[in-house]
Amino acid sequence: MRPTWRVAGAAALWLVLEWYGAESEVSWLFLLAAWVLALIAVSAVYAVWNRGGLRLHLAAKGTTPGPGSPAEELPENLLHGGPIPGPLFEGDAMKLEVGLDTTGAARGPAWVDGEVAGRQLKAGTGLIPKRGWRSVQELAELRRGAVGATAWSIVAGDPLGFFQGRRRCPDVEVALVLPRFTSLAGRRETREVESSAASPRAGSGIELFGVREYHSGDSLRRIHWRSSARRGELVVREYEPPGVQTLAIYLDPSPRDPEVADQIARIAASEAWDCIREGGRVALWAPGLQGSESVQARGLWDILEWLARYPGEPGDDPVPAGDQAVIVTGAADPRLVEALESARRRGSRVRAWMVGDADLDVDAPIEHVGAGWPL
Amino acid sequence: MAPVTRRLRLPPSPIEHSVEGRAFVLSGFAVAVLAIVLYGQDYVVPVLGVAVAAAGHVVSYRERNHKRGFWRQVLLAALVFGALFYVLTDSALALFGGVLPQANFAILLVAITSFDLKTRRNCYSSLWISLAILYLAAVYAWDYAFGILLALWALCLAGFWVASHLRRGGAQLRLPARAVAVAALAALFGGIGWFVVTPQPSGLAVSPLVVSLPNFTSFKGGIESPALPLVQLTGDPSGATTSVDLHFRGRLGDAPVMYVRTGAPAYWRGQVFDTYRDGAWTASIRDYREMQPYVPPRFLPPAPQDNLGTFVQTFRVLRTMPGVISAAYPIESLYAPVAALRVDAYGTFHTPEQLHAGQTYSVVSYLPNLTPSVLREDSSLDRLPDHVLTYTGPGALSDRAVELASEVTRDQPTYYDRVMAITYYLQQNYRYTLDLPPVPSGRDPVDWFLFDVKTGYCEQFATAETLLLRSQGIPARLATGYSTGDYDPVLNQAVVREHDAHAWVEVWFPHHGWVPVDPTPGVAPLAVTQFPSHWAAGGIARLIPHLTVGAPAAALGSLGALVVVPAAAGIALAFVLVYAWMRRRRWSFRKPQPGEIELLRLYDRLQRRLGRRRAPPETPLEYQEAMTSALLAEVTEAVNQGVYAGRWPEPRKVREMAHRIF
Repeated sequence: MRPTWRVAGAAALWLVLEWYGAESEVSWLFLLAAWVLALIAVSAVYAVWNRGGLRLHLAAKGTTPGPGSPAEELPENLLHGGPIPGPLFEGDAMKLEVGLDTTGAARGPAWVDGEVAGRQLKAGTGLIPKRGWRSVQELAELRRGAVGATAWSIVAGDPLGFFQGRRRCPDVEVALVLPRFTSLAGRRETREVESSAASPRAGSGIELFGVREYHSGDSLRRIHWRSSARRGELVVREYEPPGVQTLAIYLDPSPRDPEVADQIARIAASEAWDCIREGGRVALWAPGLQGSESVQARGLWDILEWLARYPGEPGDDPVPAGDQAVIVTGAADPRLVEALESARRRGSRVRAWMVGDADLDVDAPIEHVGAGWPL
Repeated sequence: MAPVTRRLRLPPSPIEHSVEGRAFVLSGFAVAVLAIVLYGQDYVVPVLGVAVAAAGHVVSYRERNHKRGFWRQVLLAALVFGALFYVLTDSALALFGGVLPQANFAILLVAITSFDLKTRRNCYSSLWISLAILYLAAVYAWDYAFGILLALWALCLAGFWVASHLRRGGAQLRLPARAVAVAALAALFGGIGWFVVTPQPSGLAVSPLVVSLPNFTSFKGGIESPALPLVQLTGDPSGATTSVDLHFRGRLGDAPVMYVRTGAPAYWRGQVFDTYRDGAWTASIRDYREMQPYVPPRFLPPAPQDNLGTFVQTFRVLRTMPGVISAAYPIESLYAPVAALRVDAYGTFHTPEQLHAGQTYSVVSYLPNLTPSVLREDSSLDRLPDHVLTYTGPGALSDRAVELASEVTRDQPTYYDRVMAITYYLQQNYRYTLDLPPVPSGRDPVDWFLFDVKTGYCEQFATAETLLLRSQGIPARLATGYSTGDYDPVLNQAVVREHDAHAWVEVWFPHHGWVPVDPTPGVAPLAVTQFPSHWAAGGIARLIPHLTVGAPAAALGSLGALVVVPAAAGIALAFVLVYAWMRRRRWSFRKPQPGEIELLRLYDRLQRRLGRRRAPPETPLEYQEAMTSALLAEVTEAVNQGVYAGRWPEPRKVREMAHRIF
């Protein structure tokens, strides 16, 4: 809690009143000076009290789909199971609720400021009622990824502005912006015919599909020790169940720039959407990164969340297999090539998306695309 | 030169957008003006000023974002000069009544400049001028009700601080009413407490206060208006009388004649008389010196030795009075709003004409260190100087009166003791009354007083003592003026009324000059200014009869070892209060777990929806069973987990729960 320049002004006024009171013997001046001094003292106590009982509140209040947002086309039942208060796709706008909560009595004044999604925000109020104070601010054209609230502080003091204190708040994630996607079924029809002719169907029921956390009753032989060691908890291999279409998407672990990463995420999301819409399951994998968990395979929102955070945390998950295997990359990573070749050898239908002009030496149909969306 | 001026230039002040802040500035001005109306009895300019200022504030607010127009600035500057001209004219010629010209000028200044209040600094300027107006009113404020106006002005100042502070931060002027009310009351009473218990500093009074501008009426002839309040107040307002006649005295009422703000209660001395003949006093020396309205210390006698400092008095005349400056003596410096002053041979200052209601003058006086022990040491008198020899001798005193004086002062070892012996003798053996029958024809009033009626009022006592002292070779003279009046030691102010008119004796001491002595019964015999009141608590203590400042300490001291009991009780009470506060603080400030508030809010919302809240003795499970609602199951389980096991769900889980329920 620091005094502001106003305290110096008030103290100067106090001194003038005391001095003139001493010179003129007008006692009223001493009384006025005493009140000025009392105001300073009471303000200090008030400021300490005020600052001590405030908590920052940051929450996504609502979303407004931008032009071409998938949110406008998704079926209602799917949206119902989506994130709260609604799915937020790149390019959409979000209403951010900034506020303060108080413990006990109503307080004020206070201000909050900080950064959300790279934008500096500030709001303030004179009164924070017992039920809390809220201010809604709109953030438009959000980019894919976690919307982090960083460097937020609460600035509180007394109503007269004599004392002010700034308290830092921990950084939090207020929302997650999902990648855009669309159905790519029409684009790959011809290539699919070609690839299906070249590769046998997978789905024998013994192919590794992914990993998931250990549940009581799982066979100890299915524990994947390397992933367990890395994650710090037991995880087990999950095998592809027979009769279910599965799609394994292998992604570039280190895209060269954010635009390429966004495009990779969009294409992967579109591939996943097409698969899940048909009742299939999706596994996401990138060399050196944690892959998607097998329990997420049927959930579009889980897949989109993984892609929203792509490229995510480092990991060492095994390469998943599926009926189909797709590479989505911006560079020719040999680990991706090897994974695709391995899938092809196991009989999976394989394809590849290359963002940019780089060559990819795989025995599979490759589609080159730019960073623009829609494709 | 340019860099220097650039450095000296104040940083730009922001435009004041807060309409509430401007309202507080205007309210502060209105409060100050109200104080002038109530305590200065000045009406026309204050009312006009507030009306114009209100209009000015509206204009300033509407045009706050516009650039200042050149011609408007010229017009405002012309109006300011016009106001100055008005004040000077009013001071010199009293065309508009001549009451509080300085206050009127300040009011007009605020009214005119209120059309140009764009920035925050402008608003502060307006507030400070209104503070000056309030100060001028404070000089004349004689009752505690002025404190309400002072508090209101302080509230306006605080309001402006709040409004501008919140506006600067982009917040609306809404505050937690309860907390702010508690803080305001704490400041109000804390300030009063501080004012009461803190000694008020006494500065070295550099000059008298200038609270009124001079008029320019000059002396027309010789010294007139000898300021005999005892006579003048009985129907001789011209002040032409030059004597104090003991044969009659008029009835003195309760009407106030002047209001005095002073750092110390004192006798307000006016005219002095040295010649007694046929029952009347006159002043024998008619010499005078002319001086400027401001008389600095260098033109006055040197400071008394071992004086205790100086104190300021501001006199406001409430009714027409003779042109004599009443003040505590000896004077260090003075200022009177007149063209010139004359000081007579007795040190009394005279004005060119009568003092009128509303006129104000200010005096700085020495606080002489006159105590019995000091004066007793000042008694080594071998030979009287020539200039005081005229103040000795029996004069018209009868032989038996001289004999009485000799009898009373016999065996007194020192000069001082002889003076006080006569003083005490008169105080103890004579009775004070205003119902004195007329002096019989052919009788000397003093002789008649001393040996026949043995009752009298202040003139009889003072005259008798003066003549008795003179008969013993002690120089003495008659001083007239006013006693202190109704003195309020807390606020350092006195209301002097007609019946405070008084006469006393001035006795010459070799090293202290003329020392006031009062033989009137019921007052202190050594009528010197005794204490400066620089401590409101001390003043309050003095308001209580028989209680001195040291009385509480003495009372505590008389308890002996038991004195620790109240101290220990006080400390214990303080500990209990601090402990209770800390307990309450710890309880109310416990940091909630993540998800706790969200879940409890959801639970509360659910209870509202179900139409009945959980009763205080009801557990969540009992409430769930009583309500038989499936909606409660999940939330009740989560609440139980949180409250009893400390496992609160994540906020996200709570939101999902809410989504499912609602």
